[in-house]
Amino acid sequence: MNQSKNDLPPFVKSWKQFYYLLLLWLVLLIVLFYAFTNYFK
Amino acid sequence: MSNIDWAVLLLTLLGIVGYGVYKSRGTKSMDAYLLGGQSMPWYTVCLSVMATQASAITFLSAPGLAYSSGMSFVQFYFGLPLAMIVLCITFVPIFHRLKVYTAYEYLEQRFDFKTRALTAFLFLIQRGLSTGITIYAPAIILSTILNINTTYTTLFMGGLVIFYTVFGGTKAVSYTQLLQMTIIFSGLFAAGVVVVHLLPASVGLGKAISIAGKMGRTNAIDFDFSWTNPYNVWSGIIGGFFLQLSYFGTDQSQVGRYLTGASVGQSRLGLLMNGLVKIPMQFLILLIGVLVFTFYQYNKAPLFFNSYELNKLKSSEHKEELAQLQLQYDQHFEQKKVEVQKLDEALSHNDQIAIDQQRIAVKKADEEAKEIKESVKALMLKNDEKASTNDNNYIFLSFVTEYLPKGLIGLLIAIIFLASMGSTASALNSLASTTVVDIYKRLINTTGNDGQYVSASRWATILWGLACIIMALYTSKIGNLIEAVNILGSFIYGTILGVFLVAFYVKQVKGKAVFYAAILAELMVCILGFNEVVAYLWLNVVGCLAVVIIACILQRLIKEKTVEASPTV
Repeated sequence: MNQSKNDLPPFVKSWKQFYYLLLLWLVLLIVLFYAFTNYFK
Repeated sequence: MSNIDWAVLLLTLLGIVGYGVYKSRGTKSMDAYLLGGQSMPWYTVCLSVMATQASAITFLSAPGLAYSSGMSFVQFYFGLPLAMIVLCITFVPIFHRLKVYTAYEYLEQRFDFKTRALTAFLFLIQRGLSTGITIYAPAIILSTILNINTTYTTLFMGGLVIFYTVFGGTKAVSYTQLLQMTIIFSGLFAAGVVVVHLLPASVGLGKAISIAGKMGRTNAIDFDFSWTNPYNVWSGIIGGFFLQLSYFGTDQSQVGRYLTGASVGQSRLGLLMNGLVKIPMQFLILLIGVLVFTFYQYNKAPLFFNSYELNKLKSSEHKEELAQLQLQYDQHFEQKKVEVQKLDEALSHNDQIAIDQQRIAVKKADEEAKEIKESVKALMLKNDEKASTNDNNYIFLSFVTEYLPKGLIGLLIAIIFLASMGSTASALNSLASTTVVDIYKRLINTTGNDGQYVSASRWATILWGLACIIMALYTSKIGNLIEAVNILGSFIYGTILGVFLVAFYVKQVKGKAVFYAAILAELMVCILGFNEVVAYLWLNVVGCLAVVIIACILQRLIKEKTVEASPTV
C-alpha cells in the first residue's frame, strides 16, 4: 500500500506521535473520571 | 406515539435507507459488495466502526445499567484506545497489503487451511449468536409501544434488517452508518438536554448528578483490583484491551468496516479517532441514565418497566397481591421523595452533616424500593416461570415514550432502529462474507465468477438472517443485553486473538501447533467461564495467553519429535 504524504495523520508529524496523543488522552480521561467519582459520591 | 412521532420515525428510516441504497447503486463486483471498493475516507470508516459497535443495545441497555447500578460500565472501554494503537501498527497494514476480504484468509497464508477454518467457524458461532441478541434489542421497542409479545416484534424487525442488508451491500452499510451516527449524536444530546429540563426548577445538572452520586450511581472509577468484579480500572484496561483487540482485529464485522478505507492511513485515522471519541461517548450515554435515575426520584417510576410483563401479572390470579405491592411501592415513593428533597436542600445549603445523614437515608430508601421490586419479580415467576424479570432494557425506553416531547420520541426511537439496522447489517454482511470467502469460495465453488459470488453472498445473508431471527426468539430470558453480548464474545475472542498474535509475532510456530493450542485454549476458557471462576473480561486474557503459550510448547515438542524421527547423517 502506498504510504504517501496523504497517509500521514493530521496535526502531528508521524503516526507514533498520534499514538502517544491517544495514550495521553486515555490517562486524562481516567484522571477526570476519578475526580468526577470522588466529587459526586 | 403521536402522528408527528410516527412521521418523524418513518421519514428518518426511509430517508436514510434510501440514501444508503442510492449511494451503493451499481454494486455488482465482489470487491464492491464486500469491501465497498476500498474507497472510504477516514471519517466514514470511523463512524462506520462506531455504528457497528454501538448497536441499539448501547442506547437501550447502557442507560438502564447506569440507572440500576451506576456508571462503572464506562471502565469496560478503557482498553479500547490501546487496542486501536496495536491494530494500527500491526493488523491494518498487513490486511491492506495482502488485500484480503476476511481476516481469516490471512491465517491460511500464514498457517494452513484448518486453522483458517477453525477461526472462521468460531467467528460464525459467536457472531451468529450475538446478532440474534442485537435483533432482539430493538424488537422490544415495538413490543413496548404496541404492547404485544416480543416474538412478533422480533420477526418483524429481523425481516426488515434482512431485506435492507441483502440489497445494501457493504457500501450501503457504510454510507447509512455515516448518517445514522450524525443523527444519533444529535438525538442523544437533545435527550440529555430534555431530561435536565424536566427536573424540578431547583435541580440543575450539577445537583442532579450529586443526588444520583449520593445514591451510588456516579461510580465511574474503581481502582480496587478484583478477579470477579467485571468493572474496575484494571479489568477494563487489561481485559478490555484483549477483548477490544480481539473484536476489532479478528471479528469480520469490524475488519470488514476498516478494510473499506481508501488507504492504510485512512483506515488508521478512522480507528484512532474511534479511540478518541468512544469513551467520552459512552460516558455521556451512561450519564443520561444517571439523569433519568434522578428524574425518577422526583417522579414515580413504574413498579416494573416492562409493561408487557406487568400487564400480564395485572390480569392474572395474583392481581390482589400485586395491588398490595403497588400500594406499598406508592407509599414508599412518597417517603423516599421527602428524603430526596431533604438531600436537595442540604446540597443547596452545602450542609455537610445534613448531606451525610441524608445520603444514608436515601440509600436505605433506594434499597427498600429494590426489595419491593424483588417481591414483584418473585410474583411474576410464581405466575409464569418463563416470565422475563429483568427490566433494565426497558428503563430508558419507558422514559422516552412517557416524558419526551412529540417529535423527539419518534427521533429517538428512529435512532434505536437505525443503530440496530447498522450493526445488524454489518454483522450479517460479515457472516455472509466469511461463509462465502472462507467456505463456499474455498471449498465448494473454487472457480466461480464475481456474479456467482455476489449472488452467493446475498443468499448467505438471507440464510444467516433467518438463523439469527430464530436465535433472537430465545434471547428474552437473557438479562442485560449489552452484558450478554460481551460475555458471549469473551468466550471466543481471546482464542481467536491468540491465533492472530502467534501469526504476527511468533514466527517459528506453525499451523499444527497453533491449531491444537486453539482447541485446548477454548476448552480451558469454557471450563473457567461456565464455572464462573473469573469475571468474563478475564476470559479474553486467559484464552489469548493460553493459545500463545500452548502453541509455543507444542511447536517445541513437534520439533523435538521430528528431530528424533529424522535419521542422523
